[in-house]
Amino acid sequence: MYQYNEVDQTLVDERVEQYRDQTRRYLAGDLPEDEFLVLRLMNGLYIQRFAPMLRVAIPYGLMSSEQLRKLAHIARTYDKGYGHFTTRTNLQFNWPKLEEVPDILAELAQVQMHAIQTSGNCIRNTTTDPYSGVYANELEDPRAYCEIIRQWSTLHPEFAYLPRKFKIAVTGSTEDRAASQVHDIGLHLVQNDAGEIGFEVLVGGGLGRTPVIGKVVRDFLPKEHLLSYLDAILRVYNLNGRRDNKYKARIKILVNALGVEEFSRLVEEEWEYSRDGELTLTTAEIERAKGFFTPFDYDVNAAADTSFDQKLAEDRAFKTWYERNTVDHRVEGYRIAIVSLKPHLKPAGDITDAQMDLVADLAEKYSFGEIRSTHDQNLVLADVKKSDLYSVWQGLEASGLARPNIGTLADMIVCPGFDFCALANAKTLNIADQINERFDDLDHLYDLGDIQLNMSGCINACGHHHVADIGILGVDKKGEDWYQITLGGSSREDAALGKVLGKSVAADDVANTLEKILEVFVDLRQEEELFRDTFKRIGIDPFKENVYALAH
Amino acid sequence: MPLLINKKIIANDSWQSIDAENLEQALPSGDIIVPLSFYLENRDDLQSRDGQLGIQVNGDDDLQALYAEQDNIALVAVEFPIFRDGRGFSIAKHLVRTGFNGEIRAIGDVARDRLALMQSSGFNAFLIPEDRYSEEDLSAFTEVSVNYQGTAADPRPIFRR
Repeated sequence: MYQYNEVDQTLVDERVEQYRDQTRRYLAGDLPEDEFLVLRLMNGLYIQRFAPMLRVAIPYGLMSSEQLRKLAHIARTYDKGYGHFTTRTNLQFNWPKLEEVPDILAELAQVQMHAIQTSGNCIRNTTTDPYSGVYANELEDPRAYCEIIRQWSTLHPEFAYLPRKFKIAVTGSTEDRAASQVHDIGLHLVQNDAGEIGFEVLVGGGLGRTPVIGKVVRDFLPKEHLLSYLDAILRVYNLNGRRDNKYKARIKILVNALGVEEFSRLVEEEWEYSRDGELTLTTAEIERAKGFFTPFDYDVNAAADTSFDQKLAEDRAFKTWYERNTVDHRVEGYRIAIVSLKPHLKPAGDITDAQMDLVADLAEKYSFGEIRSTHDQNLVLADVKKSDLYSVWQGLEASGLARPNIGTLADMIVCPGFDFCALANAKTLNIADQINERFDDLDHLYDLGDIQLNMSGCINACGHHHVADIGILGVDKKGEDWYQITLGGSSREDAALGKVLGKSVAADDVANTLEKILEVFVDLRQEEELFRDTFKRIGIDPFKENVYALAH
Repeated sequence: MPLLINKKIIANDSWQSIDAENLEQALPSGDIIVPLSFYLENRDDLQSRDGQLGIQVNGDDDLQALYAEQDNIALVAVEFPIFRDGRGFSIAKHLVRTGFNGEIRAIGDVARDRLALMQSSGFNAFLIPEDRYSEEDLSAFTEVSVNYQGTAADPRPIFRR
């Protein structure tokens, strides 16, 4: 993974001291509240319902064992012993003290981490496929480009005060595990007819109040032009994006208002100033970045192991976990293992300090000391030898991190909701529990097959409810929590926005409603068809009829 | 209002700002800064008087009209109407890359925590409201010494340096 050089380290160290001074001036009354708000947000610090919340950046979801141990230490020392992984693959601490945040940032800087631009109207953490570099069908490892973007976007002087937040995702294969089409910019590594590698560039995707699928502004951007083209898009947005209404300030609104042709024309016109200029990536720089993401020194004898098959035959629980929570690795004899942060009746994405330490240890021992965080709030040990899987599973199982539910209805994306978030209209954690209690039979979940369920506690859609097979949105109706359900959304390569099922349902009725939805699916599915395919085939009407029939 | 140029306070600002209130009166002699719209309406008269000319803009103005005139003026005052408005950074960037070599002055909501970003984007003069200025502000320019992207002074990104 990327290792800071002296310059990178200097930047985070100086940023810590700069923020320490900003905090000091704020507490002394020398810095107005509204300015400190903007400055602290750009350093990941929100003021939430009960306490500040600090969001730590995990660039493109990649961290080392040492870094994860540091996060555990911070959770233990400065917080209440846990953290929460987000859909941006970052980690949130829910209970830090405002005065202690500079110290936390100093601790992070010791292990090449920071909270820069994890909030605020600036370029946020770039995300990517959690299987980058280990997935068989990959064109190229996207992480080198993520790192190039990370550096370019870090403390960018011109783009620190954009109309609104700005999110970029990069994928390296035709499969999309980064929700790239609902990002402000989605970059897909592609190959042109001449065999050259470049990017398909999408702009103007996003969720929130106005969910939009991104539109292609360029079919093929030669890779050396990556930064100059991003620079052009950002400048067009910075100058033209709306600033009069924060709900209409994202780039998706600008792209829709201008039309994608006119927007693209403005970008190309702007690009003429910088094309082939200083921002053009040099071969040396691309190769330097790639050099940090070369394949590990894999054991050439890994595939010859027989102990694994024996364990698989002996231990049913292990076999179930293996089938559900591990994925093919590009190297024979290795697997990608997913650490489920969706335990029964606990908040999605939450992890305790002890669990962080354990995962860090397992990674160090069995997965080259690296851990990835995923868009759907789980962790990944990407390079586990098959012969080590049993030990990994035992470790995870003992810590409640091996619930074999990846991809199932229980592998929900859930925002923290009203229990923590100052923006939320409704609770989410109690509804997630209700669903988990109703659907607690794993065999039943396996029979249902892969189903993505996402839940948000308000229209800001941090839980990505628009792009799930089943989406749940909490709404406030005269002081009561109600839930609107959408079906048929996807954040994958076939990205689609869910359709509203009908009028919202009461909090007590969410699991009942899901049962009725799934009844229709089970009734009408053909053989082993997945929920999303059945939905595409039959549409929303049969679901509507079954859910609302009794009400008429 | 303290005016900062080259990290020094300038005691005597030669420029007078002509705003909406005194546009109706006869123009003073010397160097003046006028709003873009006023400049466009009175271009010939303004160009024929003695003294240098500056134009004041913000992100709402027709920036192409400014850029078309940039070779005829000695100063652009870019207004930051509110703290969160970042359009001024891109205006400065454009002026620099197209070879404007006069003064690019940040006015409006200008205070310590954005000075370094403004300088990197191309501003070379900063008019700071009295109540927001302190001598410590001068250290703002060197708080973070690293720049990945390139600056107005050296547009090379870090990988070309």
